[in-house]
Amino acid sequence: MKRSKTNLLWRSSIRFLLQHPWHFALSILGVALGVSMVVSIDLSNSSAQKAFSLSTQAVTGEATHQVTGAADGLDESVYRQLRMAEKPLKSAPVVEGYGRLSVVNRTFRILGVDPIAEAPFRSFASQKAGINLSDFISGETTGLVSHDVASELGLAVEDTLMVSVSGHTFPLRLIGLINPDNDQTRRALENLLVVDIGTAQKLLNMPGKLSRIDLILPENTNERAIKNITTLLPEGADLSRSDSRSQAVSQMINAFEFNLQALSMLALLVGMFLIYNTMTFSVVQRRPLIGRLRGIGVTKREILRVVVQEAILIGVIGTAIGILAGFFLAQVLLKLVTQSINDLYFVVSVQELSIGIYPLIKAAVLGMGATLLAAYWPAREASNAEVSTVLNRSSSESKIKGRIGTLALAGIVVGGLGGGLLLIPNGRIGMGYVSLLMIIIGFSLTIPLLVTGLTGLIRPVLSTINGLIGKMSAQGIVTELSRTSVAIASLVVAVAATVGVGVMVDSFRTTVVSWLEIQLQADVYVQVPRAVTRKADGELDPTVVLRLKQTDGVAGFHTVRSVDVHTNFGIDQLVAVDNEVSSHNTYQMKESEPGFWNRFRNEAIVMVSEVYAYRHHVDLGDSVFIRTDRGRAGFQVAGIFYDYASDLGTITISRNTYDAYFDDPAVSGLALYATDGADVDELVKRLRSRSEGLQEVLIQSNRGLREASIAIFDRTFTVTIVLRMLAMLVAFVGVLSALMAIQLERKREHAVMRANGMTPGQLWSYVITQSGAMGLIAGILSLPLGIIMAYILVYVINMRSFGWTLQLMVSPALLMQAVLLAFLAALLAGIYPSYKMAKASPADALRNN
Amino acid sequence: MKLSGWFVIGFLTMAVIGVIWWISIPPEVEIRTSLSAVDAMSGDTEGYLRADGPREFVFPDDHGAHEGFKTEWWYYTGNLFTGDGRQFGYQFTIFRNQLNPPAEGVDTVTEESGWSTDQFYLGHFALSDVENKNHIYEERSSRGAIGLAGARAVPYRIWLEDWEVQRVGGESGSDPRFPVRLKAKMVGGAAIDLQITPAKPLVLQGDRGYDQKGSTAGNASYYLSFTRMDTKGTLKINDQLFEVSGHSWMDHEWSTSALDEDQKGWDWFSIQLSNGYDLMYYQLRLKDGSVSRFKAVTLVDPAGEKVPIDQEDATLEVLDHWESPHSKSSYPSQWKLTIPRVDLSLDINTVFPDQEMDVSVRYYEGAVAVAGTMNGEEISGHGFIEMTGYEGK
Repeated sequence: MKRSKTNLLWRSSIRFLLQHPWHFALSILGVALGVSMVVSIDLSNSSAQKAFSLSTQAVTGEATHQVTGAADGLDESVYRQLRMAEKPLKSAPVVEGYGRLSVVNRTFRILGVDPIAEAPFRSFASQKAGINLSDFISGETTGLVSHDVASELGLAVEDTLMVSVSGHTFPLRLIGLINPDNDQTRRALENLLVVDIGTAQKLLNMPGKLSRIDLILPENTNERAIKNITTLLPEGADLSRSDSRSQAVSQMINAFEFNLQALSMLALLVGMFLIYNTMTFSVVQRRPLIGRLRGIGVTKREILRVVVQEAILIGVIGTAIGILAGFFLAQVLLKLVTQSINDLYFVVSVQELSIGIYPLIKAAVLGMGATLLAAYWPAREASNAEVSTVLNRSSSESKIKGRIGTLALAGIVVGGLGGGLLLIPNGRIGMGYVSLLMIIIGFSLTIPLLVTGLTGLIRPVLSTINGLIGKMSAQGIVTELSRTSVAIASLVVAVAATVGVGVMVDSFRTTVVSWLEIQLQADVYVQVPRAVTRKADGELDPTVVLRLKQTDGVAGFHTVRSVDVHTNFGIDQLVAVDNEVSSHNTYQMKESEPGFWNRFRNEAIVMVSEVYAYRHHVDLGDSVFIRTDRGRAGFQVAGIFYDYASDLGTITISRNTYDAYFDDPAVSGLALYATDGADVDELVKRLRSRSEGLQEVLIQSNRGLREASIAIFDRTFTVTIVLRMLAMLVAFVGVLSALMAIQLERKREHAVMRANGMTPGQLWSYVITQSGAMGLIAGILSLPLGIIMAYILVYVINMRSFGWTLQLMVSPALLMQAVLLAFLAALLAGIYPSYKMAKASPADALRNN
Repeated sequence: MKLSGWFVIGFLTMAVIGVIWWISIPPEVEIRTSLSAVDAMSGDTEGYLRADGPREFVFPDDHGAHEGFKTEWWYYTGNLFTGDGRQFGYQFTIFRNQLNPPAEGVDTVTEESGWSTDQFYLGHFALSDVENKNHIYEERSSRGAIGLAGARAVPYRIWLEDWEVQRVGGESGSDPRFPVRLKAKMVGGAAIDLQITPAKPLVLQGDRGYDQKGSTAGNASYYLSFTRMDTKGTLKINDQLFEVSGHSWMDHEWSTSALDEDQKGWDWFSIQLSNGYDLMYYQLRLKDGSVSRFKAVTLVDPAGEKVPIDQEDATLEVLDHWESPHSKSSYPSQWKLTIPRVDLSLDINTVFPDQEMDVSVRYYEGAVAVAGTMNGEEISGHGFIEMTGYEGK
């Protein structure tokens, strides 16, 4: 008996949803959009991480420890000493770097190994696997790639491929293929070029040097044994665990990925508002039905159950669609995320999506959780209503009107608490987001009050424009405040999110552009093509440097050397600049010790970028300890400068000091100053022709480099911009669905108006005006919230994630765009219901209801 | 009931999706690979130097490496005794392999990198603990570059990482006889550190050091030996250190191609007799199991002079076999060697059977004990037997 009753209830509920396909579909869309963003960001992040860890696993092999050098690698004699040492050690030399295969123009990791020593480390690179030593170690440029890479590139054994590294191109004979035994291995090897160690030294221009020596130490190796090995090492060399480096590298992108995740959560939050909106709508619309059901003896529990069931149905379908859509979206985002990581941090080549269980569970939990959470209040409201009041349509309205003040107060308290959280010193990024969320919620709670106020303001305006109908439209917003304010709140949050992110990106860009203006003082810049766009780690040929410096029209120059060094904070970028007099203008100091520039050249002091100081809590007067070729040395931080080129931060040292501590004469970049009145473009041409045939180098004029830098900046932010567009789409759908729902719900009211003599045209005008007014109100209210969000993103989240000082830059165009978005979506939302209403016979509408 | 039913459906859906993905994702696995399409090392001898006739040796240069020939080895074997008579056999060999033929008489390595080389070195070090019938061995390899391995004539040093034989005392001089120090240590800790001094002059095997091994021209080697060298030093095994002394034998041989197509392996004896004579005997075996007509015998008298003997004068008879539990190969383990012309008859036994070298190329290298008569006089002796080509029997 009970069973059939609940079935009946459930059937009525399904019927209701099917009769309102627009709401049903839009609410599913709301969940799906939110979920798909979370899924796609998670998947693309985890795919990049997975690709990185797999390729690391492939090149680390079974090594437990590694010996690394100071800045410019490790002398190969260290390897000989280790091999000759009393106690036999499992060790293998490695020379590693990046190069491009011209066939695909894709970056490959070049792994130089000694196949004779490889067997315990990397089976695929060992003599025992079948590498023919005659071809491999005898000095000819030969190599191995995986079977899949070969078939992808249409290569066969004995083919020659062109490998270019730092502007030099080498023909390389393919002497064998590596067959991966399983899928993971296949993916781990998909960007690997295995060559002999001698070949690698030649390709990567590292004569006599090793990148590292891999070791396998027994698990029970104690501190003393490790110390014994350490005593065999020269100054500057260090023994560390093999996983420590990959950990350090993958930690680099944590803040970057966290921010992307936060953006995707924001989309889900907007999605929640949409669900809440839809559920409220479906409950309110069925008030009379619910009242009647209650009247004939259906219990509260059963009503609650039906509403929750509906929510679950929407949640399940929305989540499933969202996950599927997330996969497709992830394919697009993956490229963008990978591009950003490659530009900013390290080379990772992700050819395919790796699908883990965790992002899916997370998406399912979030999708279902958000739906149920959003449906909770409407469900409670429906089940708590007394039989008599349910039949009374406006009971809920009178309730909310009495509460606007309380709600607003609560909103101010919550928002205030959120703001207060920001004041806690040394807060974490997560705290910043919590505070952001609280401010959003707080602001939403004040929306009924703000809507009432704003409606009061626009009523005279609307009345002037549209007479009585205008006035009625405005009044209609307030009379159904419980519905309209929720719809408006969700629009405000959605639109504000787009404003916030937009303002943040704008601020960032403006800051970087003006920084570049000052930073780029020289007229021509010469660099080596590189794997990681923002990392100048290549080496210029000394002959190229010499020739370029001596070109006609060059009045002066300074050089830059950029290397990765081991410091007490991990692996950091060290930049050595010479000719401090001319280069000194290019640095914008945040703080520095008195007489800094006079001391910089000859003393053991450094300046660090603002980001570096922030990340590592380094202040003026503190010391940074760097492993140099003279052993570990401390350098006092005497200056902190603005720098937006690296979000990991850099340490800058004078070339003079660098040369005293490192045996590395190489130059990574060259900045040239033209003689007065010289034509820079002509000079660039001349320089290009002079370097031709020596080394492929990038020679760019000041303007060219600035444009290229901005292009890279824009590229790294593409993913953010895509997310913002998606948020805009969610907002648009939100406005559309919420307002359409409201207008459709008012069918009966509209029928009454028609019955009382309103013409279809007047009704059309009424609905459109009302919709437009709500859209406008939402658009206007989204501006303050959007700017507050931008403020938090720029000054709190960015600061805590990266440590950059940015200038908040609010562009009027962006704000206009937001208002317009809300307004247009609102107008669009009015069209269908008014069209439908205008066409329908009022009598039918009344009867059917 | 129904409500929870819906929850169940919701979560089941998720669970099913999850399980499908879970199954489709293999768990964290190790990186496993194989290699394909790599040419097998060709037996091509074209372009290499060949042993094509007797030549004049120049010392100390000819103790060093002869690059341009495909293979070369320095073979030290010996039987050592502790003060109370405990016996150990040792083998220490450094092989040199040339990977590519020399181009136009110069080294093919034209690249600047110190790692690039055509020289590949392989080392074998084995100890036979006679008392415990324990044979331990280790193989090592390295390229002959950046000082990891090499064979230098002046001053004499043949080494592979920390395994080495090095001249002690004077650095040069044209006398091929000089004392060396041999040091080697296994990963497990077993080690030798020996002072080795030739007691007799260098023996030029075959025809003035030119040793024809096949009927094809150039299937020959240059072959030099120190047949008796006084040896003393320390030997460490199972964490026990012993003072040892005895005799060592050294062969230095280089060639490009020694064996004919139909030759499969060899049995090779080096024996020091109690009456001061030293004996080298080898026979090559054909693929059909029979003994090739290429065999050699060298008898060195106590003064170091070769006793003129024809290879046809010696007969070797196999009396017993031992089947290796590792490779299932059946190796001879007991022999009778007779050379009627000098009235020599020897019973030869391995000191214990299991002295098989299960390394990249499997062979047998074991200490032997010898007893017999010469000119009617009872004699004894110690030596080594090397056997190859018994695989798959």
